[in-house]
Amino acid sequence: MHIVDGALAAPVVIGGAVLAVGGVARGLRDLTLEKIPAAGMLSASFFVASLIHVPIGPSSVHLILNGLAGLVLGWAAFPALFVGLLLQAVFFGFGGLTVLGVNTLNIALPAVIVHYLCRRGLARGTPRIAALWAGMGGALAIALTALGVGLALALSGEAFLPAARLVFLAHIPVMAVEGLLTAAAVYLAAQVKPDLFATVQGPQR
Amino acid sequence: MIRPLALTLALAMAPLPALAHKVIGGAYADGALIEGEIGFSNGDMAADALVEVFDPAGTRLGETRTDGDGIFTYRPTAAVAHVFRADLGAGHVAEFTLSADEVAAILDSPAARAAAETGAAPGTGDETGAGNPSTFPLDRAPAGAASGALAAVPLVAAPGLSDTDKAEIARIVRDEMRPLRREIAAYRERNDLQSILGGIGYIAGLFGLGFYIAARRRLKG
Repeated sequence: MHIVDGALAAPVVIGGAVLAVGGVARGLRDLTLEKIPAAGMLSASFFVASLIHVPIGPSSVHLILNGLAGLVLGWAAFPALFVGLLLQAVFFGFGGLTVLGVNTLNIALPAVIVHYLCRRGLARGTPRIAALWAGMGGALAIALTALGVGLALALSGEAFLPAARLVFLAHIPVMAVEGLLTAAAVYLAAQVKPDLFATVQGPQR
Repeated sequence: MIRPLALTLALAMAPLPALAHKVIGGAYADGALIEGEIGFSNGDMAADALVEVFDPAGTRLGETRTDGDGIFTYRPTAAVAHVFRADLGAGHVAEFTLSADEVAAILDSPAARAAAETGAAPGTGDETGAGNPSTFPLDRAPAGAASGALAAVPLVAAPGLSDTDKAEIARIVRDEMRPLRREIAAYRERNDLQSILGGIGYIAGLFGLGFYIAARRRLKG
C-alpha cells in the first residue's frame, strides 16, 4: 500500500506533495478542539494497524483503517493520517519521506470522500444502519486507495490496468476485513456513545 | 454481541507476525563479479526480476536478471559506483549502490585481471595487469573463461593451499555467509515493541501539543 522511494516519477511525487499539503492545510482548519483527541486516537490506530499483516499468497497486505478515520474526522483525517504515515516512514521505513505526499493523498483523500458519501447514513438511523454504512465506507476507502496507488504508478510509466488490477486484487481481502472492522467500530460507537459523530462534527470552531 | 466479535477479531489477528513488506537488496563482490540479491523483507526472494545497472549520473551501464533465489551477478567494466535498480512492480523498487571503491577493488582483484586477460571483460584495458604470475582466478561463474585462464596463468604462489582450494574456500565462505546476511537484513527490518510504543508516544505528544495550542487559542478568543 505504501509506495516506496524511487518508484514514482518526479512530477507525480511533486504533484502529490502539493496536493497533500493542501489537504493537510484544509484538514488543520477543520481540526477543532473536539476533534483533536479523536484524531490522535485514529492516527495512533492507523500507525499500528499497518503492522497487522494479512498474508495472501506470496505477498501480504496490511490494514489501513483510513475509512474509519475519514468517517469520524472528515477533512481532519488528512493531518491525522499524515502524522501516522510520517512516523511509519521514520520508524518502520514504510514508504519513504519523498513519497510521503503521494502516500498521504492516496490514503487520506479516500477517507474524505468516504466521509462525505457516508455521513448522512451515519448520522441518522439505528446503530445497525450506521454500521452498514460504515462497513461500505471502510471497504470503499480501501478500494479508492488501491485505485489511487494504481493511478500513481500508471502516471509514472507503468501500464495502468495491470498495475491497478494487481494492487486492487491484492486488497480485496483487506477491503472485506476493513469493512467488517469499520462496521464493528461504528456499531460499538453508536451503541456506547451515540453522540460521537455528532460531537465530532459539531460546532465549527 | 458485536463487542466479543470485535475482541475475537482483534485477538485472532494479534499473533500474526508483524512483517514489514519492503523490498531489500544488497550487492557485494564475488571474485570478478558483483553478486547481489533482492527480496522482500518477509523472506521471499525476487525471482527472475530485471536488474538495471546505472552509474551515479544515471547513465545505464547494463542489465542482468535474478535467478530463482533472487540472486544476480554482474560483471563491472568501469570503476565507478554502480547503482542497481530493480522494479518488482506495484510500487516495489529496490535500489542500492556499490561504491566506486568497492567496484575498483573488484576490478583490481586477481580474478578480474585473469578474466580480462582472457578477454572476458572488455573495457578494462588499463587494469589488465598482465605481468603478475602469482594471480589466479577466484572467479567461478563463467566456467569456460575461468578454465581458460587457469591454463594461462602458472601456479606460483600459495604455499600449503593450492589456488583451487583457495577459490573453493572463498566460495564456501560466501555460501555460508549468505543466510547470515539475509538474517541480518531481516533483523534490520524488524519492528520491535520499542519503536511501536515510541511512535504512539510521538503521536500522543503531537496531538497533545495541538490540543494545547487549540485550547489556548480558544481561551484567548
